[in-house]
Amino acid sequence: GLRFASTTATLKTETEADTSENEVVAPDFTNRNPRNLEQLALARKERGWKTTWPKREFWHRLRLERTQHYVEAFVERCNGDVVVSASTREWAIKRHLYSPKGVTACRNLGRVMAQRCLEAGINFVNFKAVIPWEYRCDSIQEFEKAMQEGGVILREPRRIYQ
Amino acid sequence: AALCRRAAPLGPMPNEDIDVSNLEALEKYRSFTRYLRLAGKGFCVWVFWVFTFFTFMIFLPLSEEPKTDISLPRDKLLRAKEIKERKKILKENHQNCFLQCFSLIAVLIPLDEVRAEWEKTSGPFHKQRVAEHCGIFRDLFKGATFTPWVTLRVEYSQEDEHFVPVYYGNMVAPSEASSPPAVSYEADKGSLWTLLLTNPDGHLRNTDSEYLHWLVTNIPGNDIKLGKEICHYLPPFPAMGTGYHRFIFLLFKQDCPIDFSEDIRPMPCHSLKMRTFSTFDFYRKHEDAMTPAGLAFFQCQWDSSVTWVFHQLLNMREPVFEFVRPPVYHPPQLKFPRHQPLRYLDRYRDTEEPTYGIY
Repeated sequence: GLRFASTTATLKTETEADTSENEVVAPDFTNRNPRNLEQLALARKERGWKTTWPKREFWHRLRLERTQHYVEAFVERCNGDVVVSASTREWAIKRHLYSPKGVTACRNLGRVMAQRCLEAGINFVNFKAVIPWEYRCDSIQEFEKAMQEGGVILREPRRIYQ
Repeated sequence: AALCRRAAPLGPMPNEDIDVSNLEALEKYRSFTRYLRLAGKGFCVWVFWVFTFFTFMIFLPLSEEPKTDISLPRDKLLRAKEIKERKKILKENHQNCFLQCFSLIAVLIPLDEVRAEWEKTSGPFHKQRVAEHCGIFRDLFKGATFTPWVTLRVEYSQEDEHFVPVYYGNMVAPSEASSPPAVSYEADKGSLWTLLLTNPDGHLRNTDSEYLHWLVTNIPGNDIKLGKEICHYLPPFPAMGTGYHRFIFLLFKQDCPIDFSEDIRPMPCHSLKMRTFSTFDFYRKHEDAMTPAGLAFFQCQWDSSVTWVFHQLLNMREPVFEFVRPPVYHPPQLKFPRHQPLRYLDRYRDTEEPTYGIY
């Protein structure tokens, strides 16, 4: 582009002195963000554990625990650290529910959990750690539907190998 | 462990502690769910036969030194009254809903109210947990954690009147974040705050330092515009090929007006050298007068507006990076390898060309 050298001479020299060192860039770049590789689908998933169930080939796993009195949902990493959790034990959810266990509770928990996952930036979760004969029951189906309607995709993308 | 030699096991074998001689006296599981829950808890216990890549990180029970807590001091809440009130509300709920028993599945909770209540009660702990997983405390404060008691609401306003909010770990595009956001939080009159926006991942020369994007100090109460802007807002510029960068908003509560004359950057500051920053040193300097109170962060990837920032604002050529995979590991070469194909020699050759093809 054109530059008016006469009027803006002093400003130009100041900004040039300011930004002249900007061009010096190191050839290697390390990104310290632990979530970077998972979000780019380049991180390792723990393959193996094929003789046991549930498998550990995921970045984030959604686990639904239904006890006699409460329903809890956790999103964990493969080393076991809980990232996002929601449970009917929390006062915020308990006060609006008639019973903290049951199909209604599961459904509402699904909606709240979907909102929290999206806020934390977790868009893909693995929902394989469900017992097959319990997967068909109403509460787990409602929970899954609520999570999908909330916008969370229950399939993790395949890792990019090439 | 060497499998060709029979030797004593290197650690405790599973089920060693169960007495198998009297099976009927043992407590049985009676259901699969109970077994699965116990098995899930034993997920992270270290066992000698597991060799994962992450062995040094997870399975070793780390000798946990209690982490330094730098959050705002909290008064001890009187629990008894709160518990009584909550029990009353639950009782009312039960009596009301008895009539609605027939259409229970259709009952939907108001999500906004749940979120508002969550922000007051367990929100800070959840945010601290997510921040811990994103490595924020490890990178910014070298391990010292804090609980963000103050709810920091940050929203980027777009041209078509809709807002892009920033929660804990959101994805925001750099084109959406080109102008300073609307920041709001609850503040008493007469209190002073400091708002800071850093990028710990974006540094182009030195991996351990961060880039300062925005620093406003001595903010009286809620108004960001009345505070002294020490470093004006620079839109995010994650370079192409580097992936997702974290951009972290930190809100500090000040006890008294602090003099930041050492940290003043020229207005406008487009030099990356001046923008190089370390939150740890900054916090160490003003430790006595400031405590971290609020936290919000987002993830950001390259976008076409980043090119504009590099060319127009920073006045430099845009750096483009490429992901380099770590080299494939091959065990040390043996003179007489067993059961290996002919292409075994190709793995240890200096040149890239494989001489033996598929053999």
